[in-house]
Amino acid sequence: MSEVTTQVSSSIDALMREFDIITHNLANVSTVGYKRTCNAFSKSLETRSTGQQTYSPGVIDLETAFDFSQGNLVETGRPLDFALYGKGFFVIETPSGPLYTRNGVFSTNQNGQIVDSVGRIVGGGAGPITIPAGVAPSQLNVSGDGSISAGGITIGKFGLVDFQENENKLVPAGENCYRMPVQDVRPVAAENVVVKHRYQEASNVKMIDELVDILMVSRLYEANMKFVTAQEETSSSILSVAMG
Amino acid sequence: MLRAFSTAATGMSAQQMMVDTIANNLANINTTGFKRSQINFGELLYVTMQEPGTEVASGINSPGGLEIGSGVRVISTVKVYTPGELQNTERNLDIAISGDGFLQVTLPSGDIRYTRDGALQLNANGELVTMTGYILEPAITVPTDAVSVSIAKDGGVNVTDPSGTSSVVGTLQLVRFPNPSGLLSEGDNLLAETLASGTPTTGTAGEAGFGTIQSGFLEKSNVQMVTELVNLITAQRAYEINSRAIKVGDDMLRTANEIVR
Repeated sequence: MSEVTTQVSSSIDALMREFDIITHNLANVSTVGYKRTCNAFSKSLETRSTGQQTYSPGVIDLETAFDFSQGNLVETGRPLDFALYGKGFFVIETPSGPLYTRNGVFSTNQNGQIVDSVGRIVGGGAGPITIPAGVAPSQLNVSGDGSISAGGITIGKFGLVDFQENENKLVPAGENCYRMPVQDVRPVAAENVVVKHRYQEASNVKMIDELVDILMVSRLYEANMKFVTAQEETSSSILSVAMG
Repeated sequence: MLRAFSTAATGMSAQQMMVDTIANNLANINTTGFKRSQINFGELLYVTMQEPGTEVASGINSPGGLEIGSGVRVISTVKVYTPGELQNTERNLDIAISGDGFLQVTLPSGDIRYTRDGALQLNANGELVTMTGYILEPAITVPTDAVSVSIAKDGGVNVTDPSGTSSVVGTLQLVRFPNPSGLLSEGDNLLAETLASGTPTTGTAGEAGFGTIQSGFLEKSNVQMVTELVNLITAQRAYEINSRAIKVGDDMLRTANEIVR
């Protein structure tokens, strides 16, 4: 096979993968706290064609990254819904180490501790946050820095962390959570974040953008396929000349 | 086969569940004491083809990884215990719990269930029962010769006998749960205790953490029609766009098929 054919087929492969990523974003268009995955392959083709990037044959940029931009805040009125505005994560305690999430749809468990929607304990500054027996969730007051109080008595404070420029090294762990990568990335206390009580942070997937991307991917894919067809015709005509 | 097909299918089924939930909320918009359900989605696991920070050449770590998600799933539906509007009915046996708390009822089997539906009635024996006929726990019997019955803010049931003297024949008891969203809905406005809800604390209306009883009122459902309709539109569009993704994937595979003719 010629070098060109190999390149086309790896480009087709990359486009298929990008399509998978876009559908994952679309499937999560209403997942609270979801951050879209971006894959820049089709866009890198675009920049190459306009000459902004040096062309390196055979190297295809397949890396994915999370777009941690802010999602819309939606008011729900539910006393245990929390949204983060700004950079930061809630900490979820699991037996296999902490997870980080922007999904603040919490509940209480049978012991009155604040847990996430699958029942894992949400980390406070020091251990789990327990709502005292005499306090109804609707009586909670939560200030912007994550301090929880009821009737003037402090109950606890959400442990909010930030990864600053290392945000993109986080590894997704499903259920809207991320874990730290194996290499040395440590969280710091979040500073530029506000907790909004009785709000949810909507997914930051924008349907229109994803649709445009889907169109782009499917057209590029078609173009690549045309090339394969053309290549096949050329080679068969060369063969027929050679074979007589 | 394209992973995208199953990913988009998870999106479609999740949105379908959302429509189901919204439909149930809307259907119960006039149900006394009904609490709307909220559906929670979570992403499915990612296929990590390359972790971020993998060494791609000596001394060079890739700044990002290659992770492809596989869709969405419904994690849970939770009841949202925000208060419903109180509706004045002027009926003496209608009560609304203003604040936290549930009434307890005894099923014929002897099991205890919980409800916020306070449209009470008297049965043939003079016992206070819910709309569906379940006896309140603890049972309160109103003497058959009572002229009038009223329920106080603290749940005390006052009756006046023909001679004009009034007496308290019992007090309604309320219960609270550490996690009311963990209660199991059994239909007929009844809820059952589960492991997730925790064990109930009993008390009387007006005690710390408990609501008070408003006689002559009913608590309407807390479903907001506009919010539900907006959610319905969102769900419909999201469903549509996921099905569009399947269509595009189908077209892509057809193009691939056409290479070999």
